[in-house]
Amino acid sequence: MKTEPDNCRDWRHLLGAYALGDLPDEEQVALEAHLEGCAECRAEAESLDSVARLLPLADPGRFTQPAPRPSPELGKLITAAIGREQRLGRRRRRRRFGLALGGAAAATAALLAILVLPGGGAGQPEQHVDFASLPAGITIGATLEPHAYGTEIRMYVKGIRSGTLCRVYLRGPHGERVPAGTFRYRWGDDSTAVLSSALDLSRTRAIGVRAGNRTFVAPVDVTGASADHQSNQEDVT
Amino acid sequence: MQPGALKRERDVREAYAAHSGELYGFAVRSLGDPGLAEEAVQETFVRAWRAGERFDPQIGSLRTWLFAILRNVVIDLGRARAARPGVAEGGIEPSVEPLEQALLSWQVEEAMRRIGEDHRRVLVETHYRGRPYAEVAAELGVPEGTVKSRVYYGLRALRVVLEEMGYED
Repeated sequence: MKTEPDNCRDWRHLLGAYALGDLPDEEQVALEAHLEGCAECRAEAESLDSVARLLPLADPGRFTQPAPRPSPELGKLITAAIGREQRLGRRRRRRRFGLALGGAAAATAALLAILVLPGGGAGQPEQHVDFASLPAGITIGATLEPHAYGTEIRMYVKGIRSGTLCRVYLRGPHGERVPAGTFRYRWGDDSTAVLSSALDLSRTRAIGVRAGNRTFVAPVDVTGASADHQSNQEDVT
Repeated sequence: MQPGALKRERDVREAYAAHSGELYGFAVRSLGDPGLAEEAVQETFVRAWRAGERFDPQIGSLRTWLFAILRNVVIDLGRARAARPGVAEGGIEPSVEPLEQALLSWQVEEAMRRIGEDHRRVLVETHYRGRPYAEVAAELGVPEGTVKSRVYYGLRALRVVLEEMGYED
């Protein structure tokens, strides 16, 4: 890269790393000075920022695998099913699974069902998790408490860049991620973020926090058998 | 496709050829069970055929309409499965996200699949794995500026693909 980019093309090549929060401070300051005076680059930066904000929704463990494909017979099964209905002359207006509830109402009902069902983890003692082997100056800890709805997480973070958005999740027994919410770390704020996840503590195998572009993961020992496994790692899934 | 055109079996076959892959991908993502996902796709096309005369391309694309039907089918199947605990045991863990977020997550993952390998790789290494750009550049045998450039063009490509898939910010 040129040390002093002198036109928009050079600046624009930095906009991806800028949108992801990966530019070194010096480059970021210089780029922001350019953006102040260049409406086109500013619009491009905002557009890329909206895309960058979607990235945490995607799981690289899924998209680095080929897309799943239905079996070759499915198309024939569908035309056969339609053919049967045609032959029988039964244009059923009533939907097979009963759609008394609309989509949004059904989702709400499902959520309410989850909230009122007794959880499998309630009654367990709370767990304290230390994130070991963190970079110098960074401290992360969490206390996980079982509830009927899932797990309450009280998270303490210190030493990362002020303003960093932290996304917290729990990992279940099959490696699945269950979101637990987000919070923004502010320098000098020693308070504890209180979050919650639908995953029962008894099924929780690890807790992860994505802070900026780094992810820290700590195992959750719900059985008392893996104390020697407690280690921190970059999450590469 | 004209309004009501999905009434014919041949049109269903054409719609299936064009959209079944995407619909199935989202169904698997949401339900976590390939067999149940096929059931969902089948039910989607049968419902689409039953209601074919109500489809109007002036209102929205066939793809959007099919996804709207699939969304309802997934909700219904999810509810049916919730009433039969243990059905999904041993299979792929179903998505625990709200359905709208699951759809957006699937769109982003599908878009990541469709961008170029060079672009996808730098985004995976730098963003998802949090590796320093210099380290990734050394591994790829390119200047660090090239990695930054690929990140930029990768995000642009992702934006284009998402827009093609109907995503609106």
